[in-house]
Amino acid sequence: MACSLPPEILDLIVDHLRDKPSALKKCCVLSKSWVPQTRRYLFAHIRFHYTEHSIKSWKLAFPDPSNSLAQHARTPFLCEQNPSALEDPDVGCWIRTFYRVESLHVNALGRSYGVSFVQFHGFSPTLRSLTLTHTSTPLQEIFNLICSFPLLEDLGLTTIVPKRDTDGWNIPSTSPKLTGYLKIKGGLRSVVRRLCDLPSGLHFSKIRVSHDNEEPTLTTDLVSRCSDTLKYLTISHYASGAFFFQLR
Amino acid sequence: MSVDVSRMPSLDLSKATNLTHVVFRCGRSTQWVTTTVKTAKSKNLRHIAVNSFAINMASIEGAVHREWEDLDHLLDQLWTSHSIRPRVIYRRGTGEDDGDLASRSLSKLTKRGVVDMVEYKCRSGRR
Repeated sequence: MACSLPPEILDLIVDHLRDKPSALKKCCVLSKSWVPQTRRYLFAHIRFHYTEHSIKSWKLAFPDPSNSLAQHARTPFLCEQNPSALEDPDVGCWIRTFYRVESLHVNALGRSYGVSFVQFHGFSPTLRSLTLTHTSTPLQEIFNLICSFPLLEDLGLTTIVPKRDTDGWNIPSTSPKLTGYLKIKGGLRSVVRRLCDLPSGLHFSKIRVSHDNEEPTLTTDLVSRCSDTLKYLTISHYASGAFFFQLR
Repeated sequence: MSVDVSRMPSLDLSKATNLTHVVFRCGRSTQWVTTTVKTAKSKNLRHIAVNSFAINMASIEGAVHREWEDLDHLLDQLWTSHSIRPRVIYRRGTGEDDGDLASRSLSKLTKRGVVDMVEYKCRSGRR
């Protein structure tokens, strides 16, 4: 039996079930007309293990970008254990099919050299949250990536150990307003200095930072830069850094 | 594990005039917490939390204990002057009588009942 409901009623039903994947899956097989609405939530949260094999599998499964599940992905879009696939020119085309992603988390754990983020630049104009973890990519490239997302609000930088921190530093011409949260753990010194250089300034309302014994003025400077907007501040010192993310 | 954090420098929060919540995640030493809280000038400050779950409260003694007393005194003053009720997250030791150690380190606050003492428990359920 064809199940035809007015679209606004169908939207109401599916919206109501947004946090119940098992119910959404049942809706998905109920009728073809229900599929697009249910996919919007079913595939909003994709955990993607970024390997060459997984990219090939994805392309094979969804050869037509206009019909790909990528368009439903919102958050989190997680890349882990990056192989050399990131340098593949096809990756640029592939990554741009995820043009509605709002949150990007790149974990480059295991890479002894810096991951290139060039192909990620501006791939999703609606990106609001960016987290980079365990990367030794040069800071210039990291900040070029940050500045390629005009609506970016939240920024997480964990264990950023740039290999070529001494390279030249060109301040980006534009930068997002950065009005959400900032989480920094490790690599504080170099990251904060670059952050303070951004042309649009810093407007974070929440900051979680690992305090640096060697350069305490950096944290103070960071707080001062956000003085008008900062409401929530969490300071963790190095000794308890291992517990940084446990409570929340 | 004992980590010397006595030289932990304080922060200057005087320019953060809209600050409402401050959370400190500290080790044994709380001197930097005390000096940092003293710099806060925000009239909107409503919440101060001290998370010391990374240490065993039973290991607090001597100079470190005095630092906790100083913090206790300061937070007590803040309660009196600004009605800011602090929240302290602590970890118990392995002994049965360790439960009151955290309270003893913040005696003024606990006597007046103006602090929320929360025992930290690992996600695995172990202490």
